Amino acid sequence: MSALAVEDLHVWFDLPGGRELHAVQGIDLALEPGERLGLVGESGCGKTTAILAMMGLLPPSASVAGRVLLAGGDILAGGDRTMRPHRWTDIAMVFQGAMNAFDPVRTVGDQIAEPLERAGLAAGRAARTRTAELLELVGISGERQDRYPHEFSGGMRQRAAIAMALACEPKVLLADEPTTALDVMVQAQILELLVRLTDELGLAMVLVTHDLPLVSQACTHAAVMYAGRIAETGTTRELHHAPLHPYTRMLFEATPDLRGTDAVRSIPGAPPRLDEPTVGCPFQPRCDRAFGPCATTRPPRRTTEPGHLTHCHLEGGA
Amino acid sequence: MRAGWSYVGRRALFALITILVAISLNFVLFRLAPGDRTSALRCQGCTQEFKAQVRAEFGLDRSVPEQYLVYVKETATGNLGRSFVTQQPVLAELWKPVRNTIPMVLLGTLFAISLGLTLGVVSAWRRGTITDRTSVWSGLLLYSLPTQWLALMLIFYAAGPLGLPTSDIADPYLAYENPGWWPELVDRLQHMVLPAATIGLVLFGEYTLITRSSMLEALGEDYILTARAKGLSNWQIVRRHALRNSLLPIVTLIFLSLGFILGGAILIETVFNYPGIGLQLYESVTERDYPMLQGGFLLLTVSVILMNFLADLLYFRLDPRVTE
Amino acid sequence: MSPQELAEAIIPATADTRRRPPVWRFLKGHPQAAIGAAILIVFALIAILGPWIAPYGPREQVGPIFGTPSNPHPLGLDDAGIDILSLLIHGARITLIVGFTGALVAVLVGGTIGIISGYFGGRLDNLLMRVTDYFLVLPDLVLLIVVASIWGRSLRNIIIIIGLVYWTFMARLIRSQVKVVRERAYVKRAQALGASHLRIILRHVLPQVLPLILAQTVLMVALAIFLETAISFLGLGDPNAPSWGRMIENGFDRSAISYGAWWAIVPPGLAVAIVIMAFNMLGTAAEDALNPRLKVSHLLRRHFRMRPLPDKDAAR
Repeated sequence: MSALAVEDLHVWFDLPGGRELHAVQGIDLALEPGERLGLVGESGCGKTTAILAMMGLLPPSASVAGRVLLAGGDILAGGDRTMRPHRWTDIAMVFQGAMNAFDPVRTVGDQIAEPLERAGLAAGRAARTRTAELLELVGISGERQDRYPHEFSGGMRQRAAIAMALACEPKVLLADEPTTALDVMVQAQILELLVRLTDELGLAMVLVTHDLPLVSQACTHAAVMYAGRIAETGTTRELHHAPLHPYTRMLFEATPDLRGTDAVRSIPGAPPRLDEPTVGCPFQPRCDRAFGPCATTRPPRRTTEPGHLTHCHLEGGA
Repeated sequence: MRAGWSYVGRRALFALITILVAISLNFVLFRLAPGDRTSALRCQGCTQEFKAQVRAEFGLDRSVPEQYLVYVKETATGNLGRSFVTQQPVLAELWKPVRNTIPMVLLGTLFAISLGLTLGVVSAWRRGTITDRTSVWSGLLLYSLPTQWLALMLIFYAAGPLGLPTSDIADPYLAYENPGWWPELVDRLQHMVLPAATIGLVLFGEYTLITRSSMLEALGEDYILTARAKGLSNWQIVRRHALRNSLLPIVTLIFLSLGFILGGAILIETVFNYPGIGLQLYESVTERDYPMLQGGFLLLTVSVILMNFLADLLYFRLDPRVTE
Repeated sequence: MSPQELAEAIIPATADTRRRPPVWRFLKGHPQAAIGAAILIVFALIAILGPWIAPYGPREQVGPIFGTPSNPHPLGLDDAGIDILSLLIHGARITLIVGFTGALVAVLVGGTIGIISGYFGGRLDNLLMRVTDYFLVLPDLVLLIVVASIWGRSLRNIIIIIGLVYWTFMARLIRSQVKVVRERAYVKRAQALGASHLRIILRHVLPQVLPLILAQTVLMVALAIFLETAISFLGLGDPNAPSWGRMIENGFDRSAISYGAWWAIVPPGLAVAIVIMAFNMLGTAAEDALNPRLKVSHLLRRHFRMRPLPDKDAAR
């Protein structure tokens, strides 16, 4: 049974004047324990909205449809009410920019222990011991739990944020651009830490990023999102070597290669507006392999190997 | 133990320098006054000897820098000169009305703080609801009323129905009856209600608006989203994270305004004829009693500076980020 | 997050969503600001047309002392038998002029110091901000009384004093904004291209901080009017200018309370309150709109809604 499964997840936002924005348009994901899925796409493609929906952290202007299954049970069905008991105990999150993820006037340890107390897992001395353990797990001395966030460096704060996410031993970890604000060396360390922890603890992790090389380095699986839909999903290797969707191929081509053999090609054009219904394939205007049906018919879901899925009219790879 | 004592030291130094600046400004301002001080004396019975004595007392027969040094030295030792009107030392003359003002101002401020902060927090929490809109509009309205006019309106429309006195600090006839401390206290409090209510209402509007927007700013921070993700309830989020962060800037504001209120009481005390520092200043203005005016200005400025310093100290205690 | 913000974040940025909304769009989106602006326009018209629409002159005795409100005098008469409605109309001009020019002085002085301090930074910034800090702690009303009683009673003095008291707030605020703008790429680029400081300030810095300056000016006018009534009430107003503040003072001074003549005090106070409130409504709405930190709230009473899955065929 999948640690986390998302089935046909939709998110709409109310817009002024009674209009709606269909930010996430039916995505499916499945993760086994120990798997790391990179959720990639340009900004505005709905990837952050999707994982906020998985935590039930969307604003009141949002409406949601679909299922979010943790070990087979749907936690989304009852909205915020069914979501809350699972937050942090079963599914936890590392936020973008750990700079502000901590309350500046409470100690780091206090904030790591907070969910422990809420969930009734530990309190008082036990909570302090557990907090020290957690900090040491991410490579910070346990004595530093009495320090305040501003006394931590950016990298340390992100480590502490990971320790905080692991406090209640969740089975699923969502990480939203966990390394964006950090310098390159620290980025690599944080990434390594996440890989090590998911391996050791058997965590399923969704890593949201716009940084494709990061996914290649750290993730076992990848899902490419475009205009609120999944363009292609499969193992990182499959997506890299045998992309089925032209967008996936073009994303890889748009990434500078260390070997420098190929010229970097950017993708012309901009994503479509999501407040108007799209006809046909949303990527069609920017696609270099668009043909007849792309402008009129929505691409079907196709699969070549188990787990390697795409929404594209092209048969036989991009 | 945080190594932040240098912060305290620097704030203390700042307070001291500011006091010196205030003293200097005071000197300059009053030197700009037309004519020399003694020409402003309006007491008919003032003899030439007395005027000469005043001149000597202020060192008006010496050069400006000399006068300045003398002035700073005298001020530092608490000698603010003598009132033109009563011939008594200014500091002693100021102290009595200040003693009357403080409890009245505290009463009003406590009212405003307790109600304004509560309503501001609730309003931000329930943003966009009827409660929120009502408190924003009533806050805006109260904040917009001219203080002296609000006081007059209370006299016109509230004093009668409530049976409260509208003038002075105590019933002058009560003292002859010698009724004991309890009726006297009640009488004092009754005289305090309307002036304190005026201060309270004006500040209440201001505090509500400030607290609301400070709370809203805090609620938009990322750590609130983190707290939600951690499964904390709304109440826990407010109590553990939003409240402390949003009240931090307000603490400073309140302390700062405490200093200003003492001076702001001028309008209220004038309307209610309440013998506090404000009324004293008002009378000094009409009587052109410059030493009293000068002393009052200095006293109030110093009180603002001290409140400011207290706010700095409190901030140091409450906000772990303050170390540098 | 507001729906508008979400739309901006999620809908790809096009040229027209990035452009600054014009004034009318701001007023349309903020009823509070629109009501405030409407009230101010009415009062501005009264102030401009004052001498033509006032039924009587501001010094013209037309009836008995404290004459009660009646047909030719809907708001009654004051202690000298002058028509209150006419006084109110004449006073609008004076009150608004004092408010605007006082605020203008504060904005010009504070804005200049703030921009210089924020733009050049360094030692100059340090020095200017120290000076500002010292002025910031002076109790405004008391300073005002002292200066007014020394300089004498005139409108010009009141305006200068108001400017002197309030420039500090402006300077601090503008400085912090300018400091942010200074670091932006286009300013750096202009500097690298060798544009003069004056040119950079006028062409690149000022337009960026102007919305905030305007919002603060509006709030400053409210404060200035407030202060004018306070000075007048303490008997330090211009004896020749019948402002609303002077009307309240006059009513109080001539024992309108003992006469029960509420009409000598209530109308001018209400006028002040309405005008100040209108300025505050406009100013706080503008300030809030300019403060991005107020747009998001992570504390929710209501939550996202669940809804059934869309009809697959319809969606395709």
